[in-house]
Amino acid sequence: MASQRISSFHAALLAPGALIILFLLIAPIALMAVESFHPFVTGRVGSGSGWTLRNYAELMEPAYAFYFWETFRIGFIISAIAVLLGAPLAWLAARTRRRGLRVAMFGLLIGLLFMSLIARLYAIQMTFGSTGPLAFFGTMIGVPARSAGFAVVQVAMGLLHFVLPMVALILVGTFQNINPRLEEAAASLGAPRWRVALTVTLPLAVPGLLSAYMIALAMCISSFVVPLILGRGIVLFATNLMYVRFSDVANYPSGAAIGMIMFALAAIIIYAMMRLTRALSPVESHS
Amino acid sequence: MTGARAALDLTAGAIFRVLIGAAVLFLVIPVVVSFFLSFDDRSFLGAFPPTHFSLRWYRSFFDNPAYLDGLVNSLEIAAFATVISTVAGAAAAYALSASRFPGRDALETLFLSPKFVPTVVVGFSMLGFASAIGVFDPFTRLIMGHVIITIPFTVRATLAALVGIRRSVVEAAISLGAPPWRAFLDVTLPLARTGVVAGALMAFVLSFDEVAVSLFLADAFTQTLPIALVAEMRANLNLTVAAVSTIFAAGTIVVVLFLDRAVGLDRVVGQGMYRG
Repeated sequence: MASQRISSFHAALLAPGALIILFLLIAPIALMAVESFHPFVTGRVGSGSGWTLRNYAELMEPAYAFYFWETFRIGFIISAIAVLLGAPLAWLAARTRRRGLRVAMFGLLIGLLFMSLIARLYAIQMTFGSTGPLAFFGTMIGVPARSAGFAVVQVAMGLLHFVLPMVALILVGTFQNINPRLEEAAASLGAPRWRVALTVTLPLAVPGLLSAYMIALAMCISSFVVPLILGRGIVLFATNLMYVRFSDVANYPSGAAIGMIMFALAAIIIYAMMRLTRALSPVESHS
Repeated sequence: MTGARAALDLTAGAIFRVLIGAAVLFLVIPVVVSFFLSFDDRSFLGAFPPTHFSLRWYRSFFDNPAYLDGLVNSLEIAAFATVISTVAGAAAAYALSASRFPGRDALETLFLSPKFVPTVVVGFSMLGFASAIGVFDPFTRLIMGHVIITIPFTVRATLAALVGIRRSVVEAAISLGAPPWRAFLDVTLPLARTGVVAGALMAFVLSFDEVAVSLFLADAFTQTLPIALVAEMRANLNLTVAAVSTIFAAGTIVVVLFLDRAVGLDRVVGQGMYRG
């Protein structure tokens, strides 16, 4: 039945979605790509005529490159923490025999995924901020809640709250697809549990852990709201810089150049993730 | 020997539990704190826990026309965007799952790709595109932006549900004389319903909470609720936002309970290939 040619019925079903992608995603980004090579004329909305690479060259200057470095530095660290915390959570949800516990964990993770991010970020500010009940956390790690440096800590916590439920849910799928009988076999041959975890479960979970890490990284570096709300104007990501270039300076071409770089970075991370997962995924195992 | 072994096992188990505990506490505590603060009777941000409780912050939300206008706009935009992206997304997902043609996988990737485009890029590029084609109405622009960010979720959720439907059921209907559209309406659609509903819910929530795209596409007269909230949070930190957050959280609990009753949370996540 599965024909090599597409039937007109199926083509008709695909058409609206394809048109949406074409007109609301590809065309705008293509236009933005063109804009990013136009010169910026001060005091003029839009861009000037002619072609230039200035908008990109400008971003290589240390003052701007710093934003990208800061974005990635925080993204790398938070994604690692998210995988470290998300993996045990996911393992428990995937392996527990108690249905109530499993449903409760799924409920928590899915609930957070559905819950307003703005509300969660606000809650973090209320909890860890200078009047919050957990304000001592900042003092404990040497960055008191009132200090300027706390903005970074706060942004980091916001990002972790943002990506952790997603990472955990991705990893639930990873652990569910590791045959529990392999772990049972190792255990019945006398391996202690920590050994089973390190030598059986962990290696099999590597592709999943890597792709969860990269999805977290992509979510972190393209985040806009988290630094906007929790960064106190001190921590700015490349995304925030893009908005500032547009809203305060009305430099559309420069914003477009930042947009193109953001787009390219996100695309590279996702592509690398897809290649890695494909290369690492074990040959279909049969139980 | 066995003693050392048991000690190692215990330590590993303890680390494992500490990590799980830390993760759950980190995720849950802020939400609980914000819940209690939303009922705080004090007019300033005081120490936790509050000593007197009242509904003053809920009243101040409903007395603020900026919030109410934003709420109405957000609901309308989310409703339009959800309907458009659910219909287009579910139809595309069905066609993708039912046919095989050259470039099919590339097309599927393309449908899911908006998910990986940073939302600032979507908002920024959409603004330039809208003015290039002469669309200056903020409401239309916002719907355009929200459709593109939600469509990968409706496609994805429907595809996931359709994978579970045996092709043979549809083929049976067709071989009994049903035209393909009839088989689609009577056989596939009811079976794919869970995926379509989950995708639509996801789309609505995503649109309702979107900041980056809306910030570029809204104007001074057409605001959404998240934009009004963010402006408030950056200007002066008060507890109105805690009240809104609590309302959002209550809404989330309703959605999750609904999903559990309608689909089962186990099935939303999926059970993997070694269970059930």
